[in-house]
Amino acid sequence: MASGYDRALSVFSPDGHVFQVEYAGEAVKRGTCAVGVKGTDVVVLGCEKRSAMKLQDTRITPSKIQLLDNHVALAFAGLNADARILVDKARLEAQSHRLSVEDPVTIDYITKYVAGVQQRYTQAGGVRPFGISTLIVGFDNGGKVPRLYQTEPSGIYSAWKANAIGRSSKTVREFLERNYKEDMDREATIRLAIKSLLEVVQTGAKNIEIALMAPGASIETLPTEEIEGYVKEIEQEKQEEAAKKKTGRTPGTGTAAILTRSQDDSAAE
Amino acid sequence: MSRRYDSRTTIFSPEGRLYQVEYALEAISHAGTAIGILAKDGIVLAAERKVTSKLLEQDTSAEKLYILNDNMICAVAGMTADANILINYARQAAQRYLLTYNEDIPCEQLVRRLCDLKQGYTQHGGLRPFGVSFIYAGWDPRRQFQLYLSNPSGNYGGWKATSAGANNASAQSLLKQDYKEDCTLEEACGMAVKVLSKTMDSTKLSSEKIEFATVGQTEDGKIYHRLWSADEITALLKEHDLAKTEETEDK
Amino acid sequence: MLGRRHSESGTGAWGQVFPARAPNGSLLDCWTFKQAHHRPRPQQDDNSSTSTTPTATTTRTIAKMEVLLGITGKDFTIIAASKAAMRGATILKTSDDKTRSLNKHTLMAFSGEAGDTVQFAEYIQRNAQLYSMRNESDLSPSALAHFVRGELATSLRSRKPYNVNLLMGGVDPITGKPSLYWLDYLASLADVPYAAHGYAQYYCLSILDKHHHPDITLGQGIKLLNMCTDELKRRLPIDFKGMVVKAVKADGIIDIEFDDDKIVKSA
Repeated sequence: MASGYDRALSVFSPDGHVFQVEYAGEAVKRGTCAVGVKGTDVVVLGCEKRSAMKLQDTRITPSKIQLLDNHVALAFAGLNADARILVDKARLEAQSHRLSVEDPVTIDYITKYVAGVQQRYTQAGGVRPFGISTLIVGFDNGGKVPRLYQTEPSGIYSAWKANAIGRSSKTVREFLERNYKEDMDREATIRLAIKSLLEVVQTGAKNIEIALMAPGASIETLPTEEIEGYVKEIEQEKQEEAAKKKTGRTPGTGTAAILTRSQDDSAAE
Repeated sequence: MSRRYDSRTTIFSPEGRLYQVEYALEAISHAGTAIGILAKDGIVLAAERKVTSKLLEQDTSAEKLYILNDNMICAVAGMTADANILINYARQAAQRYLLTYNEDIPCEQLVRRLCDLKQGYTQHGGLRPFGVSFIYAGWDPRRQFQLYLSNPSGNYGGWKATSAGANNASAQSLLKQDYKEDCTLEEACGMAVKVLSKTMDSTKLSSEKIEFATVGQTEDGKIYHRLWSADEITALLKEHDLAKTEETEDK
Repeated sequence: MLGRRHSESGTGAWGQVFPARAPNGSLLDCWTFKQAHHRPRPQQDDNSSTSTTPTATTTRTIAKMEVLLGITGKDFTIIAASKAAMRGATILKTSDDKTRSLNKHTLMAFSGEAGDTVQFAEYIQRNAQLYSMRNESDLSPSALAHFVRGELATSLRSRKPYNVNLLMGGVDPITGKPSLYWLDYLASLADVPYAAHGYAQYYCLSILDKHHHPDITLGQGIKLLNMCTDELKRRLPIDFKGMVVKAVKADGIIDIEFDDDKIVKSA
C-alpha cells in the first residue's frame, strides 16, 4: 500500500487508488455529523453543533449550515476552513449565473458546480482535495419539489431522499434507511431529522441545529426551544417504547418502526 | 509511521489529518504568550516579548502587537516573519475595502480574508502553512467591540477572552476563572497583566518584557487604538504590584 | 460564458495564492467579479471620443428626456422613474421599470444609453447580492454608492465607458437614516436631500428647493413628487408615460401606487 503512491498529491497507485482522495474522506469522517431529509413540500438540514465554550463570543459562531443563494442551503462535514472557500466559490457562481441567464441556479446545477470544483482539486497539480462532504438542499425557482444532494471530496454527487455525512454518518444513514417514509409533512420531516441526529448526539437540543427550506420561502432556522420540544417528545416516546417492550405488549402499528429502531440502537451501541 | 506524511505539506494523512498544520500549531505553542480580553467599553491585548535587550529600541520594534487599520489591531503568536507577510496583506485588504466602499472593513471580514489566505497555504502544494496565530481586537458599527482568534489552519472564532502561544492552556483556564461579563476596560487591563504574570517564565514583569495595547471609545464616540509606551506599562504593573522592583508572590 | 470564465480565473488566483493583485499591481479588488465583466467590449469606432458622434448626441438628448427623481424625508427615500422606453422618436414601451433593488434597503434608478443602463445596473445588483450572501450582512447605501462610483470611474477610463446616470436611494440598516446619492456617467457622486436627472432637473429642482424639508413624511413626499410630475407634464416636450414610484423604508422597499392619468392643464 504505502509505496510512495500516497506521497504525490494525487496520482493513481498501481492498484487504482487515489490515496489523497480517500484520506480526504477520513477528514470528513472526523467532522461533526450533518443530515438532510426531504418531506413532501419541505427539506430539512440538521447539524451536530459543538457547544460554545464559556469564553466564546456567541455573536460570532460560524454555522455549518450556510446559504449559497436565497433558495439554496448547504451543510458540510469536514474541515471548516476548506468549507469556507468552497462555499465562497459556490456563492460567486450562484450570482454569476443569475447575471448571465437571469434565473437563479437550480439545485442540480449548483451541486454539479460544487462537485466540479471538488473534482478539480483531485486532479489538478499541487493541491490536495477539499476535506469536506456537503449536503445541498433547496427548491428550484418556482418549483415545488424538494431537492437534496450530496457531494464528496472525490467530486461525486448524488441525489437522496435522506442522507447523513460526517462522524458516525453510517449509523445515522442506516437509521434513516429504516425510518424514512414517503410523504412526510413538515412536522414529521423535522422529527425524523432530529431523531436521526440523536443517534449520535447525546447531549440533546443544545448541540443540534436545524434549518428548513420550503418552496419560495427563505431559510428558516429553528430556535433551540423548539428543538428542545422535539427532543423531549422523542425521548419520552423512547421511554414509553422501552416500557412497553418490558411489559411485553405489542406496540401499535404506527410505532412499529420506532420499536425496531430502539432495538437496533441498543445493538449499535 | 507518520514521517511519510509530514515531509510535505498540504496532504492528508491516512487518518485524514493535516500534520503540517498540527506542527505549525506546535511551533506556536513555543512562542511568547499573547492574550486578549473583551470588555464592555473596549478591548485589551497583551503579549509577552521574547527578545529582550537593553540595546533594543523600545518604541520602534514592536514584536507582538500591530495596527491593522483605523479600528483594528492584532497580537501575534508564532513566527514573526510569517506574521509580517500576513499583516501586510491584511493592511492592504483593509485599505482596498476602504477605497472601494469608503467605509472601514467590518472586523469579521478582515479576519476572514486573512484566514482564507492561511487556508490556501494548507491546500496548495509546495507551501508550508503560516506558523502564526493571531488575536484580533476591533470595532465595527454592526457588532461593536469584537475579539477574534485565528490559527494556521485558517479557522477562526469570536471570543470574550482568549490566548495564544506558550502556556496557552493555563492562560485560558486563568481567563476562564477570572473573566467577568461586562467588565470595564480598566479591569480587563488588570486581568491581562495578572494572567501574563502567571504564565510567563520569569517571576518579575517589566515593561521591556511585555507589550500592551487597547482599543476603546473616546467620550465623543470615536474609536481609538493605542500601543502603550514603556512608562505606561510600568505604571500599570506598579498599580497591580507586579513590577520588577517589587517582590512578587507568584511562582 | 461568464460563469465558466470566472471559475477559471478563480482557481488561477487561488493557485497562485496571492489573489489580490491585478497584473498591473494596482489595488484591484478581486473579491467582486469585476474581472469577469471587464471583458473587451466590441469597439464601436476608432474615434476614441464616441460622445461626439451624431448617434451618441441623439441618444444623449433622448436620455435626458427620461425622468429620474429622488426625495428623502424623515425615515424614507422616494425613487421615481419615468415609464417610457424610448428609441429615437419612438416610444417602445410604456411600462418600463428603470430601477433595480440592490439589497433590502437600497434602490437604484438609472437612465442613459439603452443597453448600457440595464447591463450596468444588473452587474451592480449581482455584486451587491454577492456581498450580502458572502457576509451575511448588507452593504449600506453609502458603501454601495461609493462602490458604484468606483465602477463608473474605472469604466469611464476604459475603451468604451458605460453611459449611465444614476440615483441611489436607501436607508442605512444600522443608523436608520435615509440617504440619496446622485451619480452620473462621469463618476461624480453627491449626497443630496433630493435629486433629478436629465431635463427634469430644470423643472423640478426649483420646486424641491422651495418645498422640501428634511423632516417630511412619506405622504408629504408623495405630494412633492406630484408637484414635480405635474410640472414635467406641463413643460416636457414629450409624454414620459407616467412614473414608477418606490420608497425605501427601514423595513424594506415598497411599491407606491401613483396616479399617472392625471391631466395637467398646460401653462
